[in-house]
Amino acid sequence: MTDSGETGRTATDAVHLDGITKRFPGVVANDDVDLQVERGSVHALLGENGAGKTTLMNVLYGLYEPDEGRVVVDGTPRDFDSPRDAIDAGVGMIHQHFMLVDPMTVTENITLGNEPERWLGLSIDRERAREEVVDLSERYGFDVDPDARIEDVGVGVQQRVEILKALYRGADVLILDEPTAVLTPQEVRELFGVFEELTAQGKTIIFITHKLREAMTAADDITVLRAGKTVGTLGAADASRERLAELMVGREILLDVDRPAADPGETVLDVRDLTVEDTRGVRAVDDVSLSVREGEVFGIAGVDGNGQAELVEAIAGLREVDGGAISLGGWDATDASRRDRIDAGMAYVPEDRQESGLVMDFDLVSNGLLGSQHARPFAENGRIDWDAAREHAEEIVAEYDVRPANVDARAASLSGGNQQKFVVGREFARDPRLVVASHPTRGVDVGSTEFIHDRINDLRSDGRAVLLVSSKLDEVQSLSDRLAVIYEGSFVDVVDPDAVTEEQLGLLMAGEQPDADVSVGEVSQ
Amino acid sequence: MSADGGGRGRGDDADDTDGPGGSDADDGSVLPDRLREYAVSMAGASGGERLLIALAAIALSILVGTVIVVAGGLIATCRTPVLTVGDLALCYDPVAVYDRLFFGALGDPLSGGWSPLNAQFAVTLRETTVLIFTGLSVALAFRAGIFNIGTQGQLVVGALVSALTVLWAAPALSGTAGTVVLIPLGLLAGAVGGGFYGAIPGVLKAYAEANEVITTIMLNFVAVLVVRYLVSDHFQDPGSQAIQTASLPEYAQFPALLFDPRLDFSLVALGFALAVVVGIYYLLSHTSFGFDLRTAGLQPAAAEYGGVDSARTVVASLTLSGALGGLGGAVYVLMILGKFQTGVPSYGFDGITVSILAGNNPIGAIFAAFLFGVLQSGSSVVDFATDVPPQLVGVLRGLIILFVAMPEFFRLVGRRITPEDRGPAAAPGGAADD
Repeated sequence: MTDSGETGRTATDAVHLDGITKRFPGVVANDDVDLQVERGSVHALLGENGAGKTTLMNVLYGLYEPDEGRVVVDGTPRDFDSPRDAIDAGVGMIHQHFMLVDPMTVTENITLGNEPERWLGLSIDRERAREEVVDLSERYGFDVDPDARIEDVGVGVQQRVEILKALYRGADVLILDEPTAVLTPQEVRELFGVFEELTAQGKTIIFITHKLREAMTAADDITVLRAGKTVGTLGAADASRERLAELMVGREILLDVDRPAADPGETVLDVRDLTVEDTRGVRAVDDVSLSVREGEVFGIAGVDGNGQAELVEAIAGLREVDGGAISLGGWDATDASRRDRIDAGMAYVPEDRQESGLVMDFDLVSNGLLGSQHARPFAENGRIDWDAAREHAEEIVAEYDVRPANVDARAASLSGGNQQKFVVGREFARDPRLVVASHPTRGVDVGSTEFIHDRINDLRSDGRAVLLVSSKLDEVQSLSDRLAVIYEGSFVDVVDPDAVTEEQLGLLMAGEQPDADVSVGEVSQ
Repeated sequence: MSADGGGRGRGDDADDTDGPGGSDADDGSVLPDRLREYAVSMAGASGGERLLIALAAIALSILVGTVIVVAGGLIATCRTPVLTVGDLALCYDPVAVYDRLFFGALGDPLSGGWSPLNAQFAVTLRETTVLIFTGLSVALAFRAGIFNIGTQGQLVVGALVSALTVLWAAPALSGTAGTVVLIPLGLLAGAVGGGFYGAIPGVLKAYAEANEVITTIMLNFVAVLVVRYLVSDHFQDPGSQAIQTASLPEYAQFPALLFDPRLDFSLVALGFALAVVVGIYYLLSHTSFGFDLRTAGLQPAAAEYGGVDSARTVVASLTLSGALGGLGGAVYVLMILGKFQTGVPSYGFDGITVSILAGNNPIGAIFAAFLFGVLQSGSSVVDFATDVPPQLVGVLRGLIILFVAMPEFFRLVGRRITPEDRGPAAAPGGAADD
């Protein structure tokens, strides 16, 4: 953007998305988004979960028709009806979940649907297919055995097969959706090598990510999306991690509530040297220690994907701990079951309400019971008191203004914001000693956000311990008494949220220590 | 292109996360869009609508079946055609076939002097009784998200354990006291035997991640063969050519009550089956365990979040499912056979269809089992009363079941995909389709 004029660039751009708007009922996923990708470059599309990155790429790949805006590929405006059209125009997409046939060989997968034919299409010319695949992988320096079965090769190789498949179909522009999410660090490096090889041969790459470092390492240009809008495009050389973090997370202006100083009591949650591995076996939480006391809100800030999710799940009892200890009010809960933790007074607002926080097929009466189905006053001697459950759900609906105000409605029929309000209401109504809230206001409108913030402050003045994880800086800053910044699985620092500046937070979120010392508490080793 | 279509249908398309929720939606993406829509609309159908759909499905299947009967009747040769038009002779009368199939099974309720205690109706209710148990067995596991194909094996094991226990205890008792003690004892033994046999795949699934579909199918074979060995080598009735145990004394069998004792049907057993239905209904909808089970079946991640111990729930539900199959076996022994004999009819497999017909609802299992009972018993009447070959009658039965089951099947699929499908998917996102 910086080095050439608008008009001059469009002609050489491999892809130009111009004013794309895509609406879904109740959501504007893309709002007047612009994206220009130079031919032969690697372009990172950076943004938090829900920022609209995938939607935008699905528009480019012909999966969605934009409500407004133009798709220009190679200087020609296009109107894709389906991915088939996009492929014909030289646009290929590699989804996050690979679409390969496991028992088939690499060659078969790459040529699938476009096999070289013999005898007027009655038979497949296997030899030629194999030759073509070998040629293709040699040309781009891929180390792939054409005869290996997909089920026998690793994830990194599978990804390369996906790339080869797109190339085989004549793609000049490759879109990769979170390509590093399933890879080990070693494989990530190899993938970035592949990027270089491809761009050297004139291919254009767009990849979606929410990891700052990857965007800076692998991309030539970075476009940041936030809440469906383009926030900016920078050259990777001009970008700094803190600048990117700031762009991604943004700053919403919120009224700061006046509240009394914290009056922390006894320690409720104590986490010592906690280590947690994610599903791939990669260390997601690395030696984290923290403690939350009664009447205190402990905030955790950081860019998504730095181990917050795994940390919270381990504390909640939904993920196995690989090292360290968790204690709840002096009780060793490291290996305690989820139910024992609920019974010990832990409320948990999960990050993914549709996956775990609610049973989508249950009505709100049943959902209000989730987690309390064995506890009084809703159950006695294994028998559920549905009248009490109904009353409880009605109270939550009334207090948290859940709409429609009908407890017989299925959870699935509620909008995301109302689902979230119901989950928050249910968990806060548990009379908890400890509340673990993960992104409690994600997807919730401004009014309800404020309401939830007030409730968190109420919990605090009520003497409850609150562990708050959010990627909204203003939220963690205004609600927390102490604020930890997490980066790549470890706390960079624990700071005073009132004293720290956004710039300093930006630096910390990028894993760097700011010059001025803002630390207030213990940092994990 | 169907694989790509999956991405379009997802609920949180506006979201960048391609979370684990995608897997559920992928189930739906293999369906073409029109079937998807149908599945989703079926998922929202009310009980009354479903009953109407089921009746319409039966009518439609009769229509299709009629065509087949007529076609078959034109091809076949016979001495006394039902209808002759020129050179064409129609051998089978479709009206008679369906009349016998349905009304025959009930013992001709429209003719004069009908009594509900007639022999053919007893056969219908006899089949219904056993099928209620096997249908419940499959349905309960289904509700926990487990596909128990092993009800047949559990029934066979339950039947043998029940027979042996009663044979062992019978000499100590006699008369009415014997009936009062031995019947509950036999039922309990059947439940324990079946429950134990259901617990095996449960433990394998919960602690070794063995797919229950595979293990339960395999265990069916194991059950049949081990039972055959046990009976022939250890418990063989010396006075019989068949592989069977000695007969239970009369007082150790279900009392007929109103019906002719020779009909092998007992209203007591049917009453017990209905009581078990109510019990299972209550368990599912009014107990904490039922809540855990249903949550685990619908959304495992949410169940775990809600403090449900998934491994224990899997074992418990398969054990209970097996116990229900075992009860079916016990009733089969104590009401129908009066002994154990190898070659047990496929009640367990029919239970899968009963459960699907019933939408995995315990109360619905009564009606589904009754429909099955009617078809089972009606087929024999058709065989007896018309020239239509039994194979063709089997086709007609299969048609009825297929037609009634398909909407329910789509409803199950629809319920799986709808949670992911609110919002964007319902929107004309599909407008971009090819």
